[in-house]
Amino acid sequence: METPKKPNTRGILDWFDPRGRNVGGWGFIINRLSAIGLTVYLYLHLYMLGKLAQGPEAFDAFIETAKQPAIMFGEMLVIIAGLYHGLNGLRIALNSFGIAVPAQRQLLYGVVGLTLIGTVVFGVRMLTTH
Amino acid sequence: MQNTLSQPKPGESYLLWLIKIVSGVLILPVLIIHFLVNHLLAPNGLLSHAEVVAYYRNYPIVPIMEGFFLVFVVAHSLIGSRSIILDLRPSPALLKVLDYLFIALGLFATAYGIWLLFAVINFGL
Repeated sequence: METPKKPNTRGILDWFDPRGRNVGGWGFIINRLSAIGLTVYLYLHLYMLGKLAQGPEAFDAFIETAKQPAIMFGEMLVIIAGLYHGLNGLRIALNSFGIAVPAQRQLLYGVVGLTLIGTVVFGVRMLTTH
Repeated sequence: MQNTLSQPKPGESYLLWLIKIVSGVLILPVLIIHFLVNHLLAPNGLLSHAEVVAYYRNYPIVPIMEGFFLVFVVAHSLIGSRSIILDLRPSPALLKVLDYLFIALGLFATAYGIWLLFAVINFGL
């Protein structure tokens, strides 16, 4: 796992301290925040899919609720977090096995760029489909 | 930005660290397939109960893939959560309790998800 540059002395509070933070530090923080968001979403998703076992009325009513703008906005946040965390995870995996280690900064910029492009693609598709 | 190798942090065994990395990498192809089959290739995007049940019955590879996706993502999320908690420097006793909680949650979530897959496939039979 990639670690922040400074020694962490204040636990999670240290994540939100911008002082002396470099690009890799921000990449680390966003990775952590997206991980927490995606973990919460995973178990919520599993719980909501339980509606499938309850029958058509329960599941179809849930799908109607999920079409509300607030829920769709939440889904968009999930897409952004998933894209960033997945792509940045690939960067960390490459780094873990000693691949492209000197190019970490460039790879992180690539991760952010691809996340932005993917967000626009998913956003347009979501808005035009519903 | 540091150009050093990523490695396990204190309190994280090499095995757990490796499972976290490998499960994370495995999630990506399965997630891409998950999106493609469930939201692009599936007729109408699987937005009704009847469509989901029919799709799972007609294409058995889909629930099998979802089962693998579940296992990878649960393992990755729980080992990752443990890794985040290590930042808070918990005592060894607390970490042991949390380890048992994570194992219990992982087993429950996996068992529930697998049960749900079978419940969908067998719905109404």
